[in-house]
Amino acid sequence: MIQDLLHSSPGLSNFVIFFLLATVFLFVILGFVTYAILAERKVLGFMQGRYGPNQVGGRWGLLQTVADVLKLLLKEDLIPKAADRPLFILAPVVAFAPAFMVVAAIPFTDRLQFADIGVGLLYYIAVSGMTTVGILVGAWASNNKYSLLGGMRAAAQMISYEIPLVMSVLGIALLAGSINLNEIVEAQEKGWFILWQPIAFIVFFIAAVAELNRVPFDLAEAENELVAGFHTEYSGFRWAMFMLAEYVYMFAMCALITVLFLGGWLPLPFLGFIPGAVWFALKFSLVVFILIWFRATFPRIRADQLMEFAWKVLLPVALANIFLTALLKEFLNIF
Amino acid sequence: MTISGEFLAFISLALVAVIGGVLLLNLTKVVHMVVGLVFTFIAIAGIYILLSAEFLAVVQILIYSGAITIIMLFGIMLTRHNDEESDSKGGGWKKVLLFLGVLAFGAAFYIGIYNLDFGTEPAALHEKNTEQLGVALYSDFVIPFELMSVLLLVALVGAIVLSRNDGEKEGDKE
Repeated sequence: MIQDLLHSSPGLSNFVIFFLLATVFLFVILGFVTYAILAERKVLGFMQGRYGPNQVGGRWGLLQTVADVLKLLLKEDLIPKAADRPLFILAPVVAFAPAFMVVAAIPFTDRLQFADIGVGLLYYIAVSGMTTVGILVGAWASNNKYSLLGGMRAAAQMISYEIPLVMSVLGIALLAGSINLNEIVEAQEKGWFILWQPIAFIVFFIAAVAELNRVPFDLAEAENELVAGFHTEYSGFRWAMFMLAEYVYMFAMCALITVLFLGGWLPLPFLGFIPGAVWFALKFSLVVFILIWFRATFPRIRADQLMEFAWKVLLPVALANIFLTALLKEFLNIF
Repeated sequence: MTISGEFLAFISLALVAVIGGVLLLNLTKVVHMVVGLVFTFIAIAGIYILLSAEFLAVVQILIYSGAITIIMLFGIMLTRHNDEESDSKGGGWKKVLLFLGVLAFGAAFYIGIYNLDFGTEPAALHEKNTEQLGVALYSDFVIPFELMSVLLLVALVGAIVLSRNDGEKEGDKE
């Protein structure tokens, strides 16, 4: 449907249709973020032997996040006197906009996709790099040493881990012969890439957790060292924008892992009668759960270990994986 | 000229690019300038997409808006972060010369572009853009490509030498 719309002549009605679709999609993602936060708190609670939210909205705390968001939106809009005002206002927008842009390129099923971009994989990685600029600018504009330290850490970490992230994906690009996300999923009909590319999967997953600034790589927001990291001076809805960007990236990254390694909407053998959207949702939820599980399990890594791990472990392993994949593809002709 | 969607997109992207460039020149704080520059880079990537060079556009965002901007921000923040440029007032002669320079630049570009002919444009540029680039790069342009990699290697080694030079004592300890 989107494809036909994209090829039709531009006009006001098309603009309205696109605008409405994007709005609907934004609300779907907001719904995901609301319940991802609740799920995170609940799962963390169970793993730590407590209940988690259980007051607002029944015994499962179903309205807890809604209440939290309402509180955030009603808060006074604070801008510190010493802050760099225009950049302070601009930074959350710059951080959030790419998060929403990358989701448009992800194919949820063979029909349900917003933009079928030829260089979809590279598009994701390029556009998600823009958030780093937003974080850094926000950290600088706050005019606070903890913010600046957190922002510097976030930027250094995100650009370091972007390299193993891209390198590990190259193996998949070699096997699929394409960097279009639809074609990558279709190439997995013979077997998901987690089976053909286990090394790439491990490297990609670790780098993805680091890109998301989540435990054990959450040095950018290490509470005991930096108060709150790059968003120390932010509050109310500007802070909510940063949080939203973080969780939308979690959504996008989990969807990307599902598409790249777990076969996207493809079913398991003999279970093809279950629709693709359900398969995608199942795999996606599994990845989200593993991320939350990580957060409950691992201690935070040290700053020097962080950089050494990226450059001395992940990068060589990813390079070796590319080499191995090229050899296998060339000599064994499996694909 | 008819107003099509492409034309509108080009005009808005070009406006963003030009405004970003003007902001880069006119703002006084260095970090603000870099943010202006980011908008120029992104707008140029958009223009690449209009020219059906999607791979180039994505790489433009990845390298320029992402990596280079962050390196510049790091450089600015690690040195002095709250210095403002003060306006220097040039004399009347300087302004006249500047105006003549702008005129000459405009005239040179107008003459250069007006009768420019790139030949006929291949029709299927947008299909398998990445593959076409790859084939061209590894068949027709292998030698320039390899020379570029040597150049980058030299830059890399140079950077390492520069950064190790002032810490010779620590280097000896290891």
